[in-house]
Amino acid sequence: MLRTDRSARHLIAVDLTPMIDVVLQLIIFFMLTSKFGDLRRTDIDLPRQPGEQAERSKEPAMIVDLTGDGLTLVDSRPVTVAELESLARAGLASAGEEGFDVLIRPDRNAAASQLDRVLSALAGVGVVQWKLGTFDPGSLGP
Amino acid sequence: MTAFGGKKSERSRRLGALPLISLIDVVFLLLIYFLVTSDFSQEERRIPSALQTEGGGIRSVEFQPQIIDIVPAGDGVRFIIGQLETGEQAALTTMLARLPREPGVAIRAEPDAPVWAIAAALQAAKDAGFEKRSYVPREP
Repeated sequence: MLRTDRSARHLIAVDLTPMIDVVLQLIIFFMLTSKFGDLRRTDIDLPRQPGEQAERSKEPAMIVDLTGDGLTLVDSRPVTVAELESLARAGLASAGEEGFDVLIRPDRNAAASQLDRVLSALAGVGVVQWKLGTFDPGSLGP
Repeated sequence: MTAFGGKKSERSRRLGALPLISLIDVVFLLLIYFLVTSDFSQEERRIPSALQTEGGGIRSVEFQPQIIDIVPAGDGVRFIIGQLETGEQAALTTMLARLPREPGVAIRAEPDAPVWAIAAALQAAKDAGFEKRSYVPREP
């Protein structure tokens, strides 16, 4: 009986505050790191059109950014047309029944020739569908 | 009165034992989290389109898509569909709304036309109810 009282007193003395702090810090860490997925995209002034809402659960297989200074980036890495074709070919080969989903995010003031060069390369390896990334001016944001 | 007062002070002593510091920590960290993530809340949208090569993909004259040509003009662009021509996206949507939907619409642009005009033409076709939208890149 005496032993039970002592153990109960010991349990009450355990300080849970640091543990709660650590658990919540870990939760916040994972919430923040989940944003690292956006490293596939660069900061681009997209064309301002409402378009349609993207499925948050389904990320495109390939994201091609076209910058205002003429660079072509795949997953934020500069590529040549030959590298783009090679990446698209590999993507098409590994794509399942869902198909190969390509998102192109061009700078709104980029020339059509820059977009045409990328799309011609993609069409050349067998891509038949693409999506143009836009920014809805009606949505909240900077 | 004394008994009531005694009970009250006991309760406040118990309440005082709650670890409020960690609660405040959590509230502030959540506040900072939402402040930081709200900077990334610019919502990206998409306009799906088919990809068609010049001279390819059209098998029948009957189902030949209506073509929107984008030509730069001064500070803006002109959208040309056959004899029809406009420089405004809203007017292009109205023009497209009068056309049959079945053949679809194909868009092509002059090399020095800006990309925002291509997005505007795709959006106008979508708003006019065209399910079949394709873009025809010019061969480099």
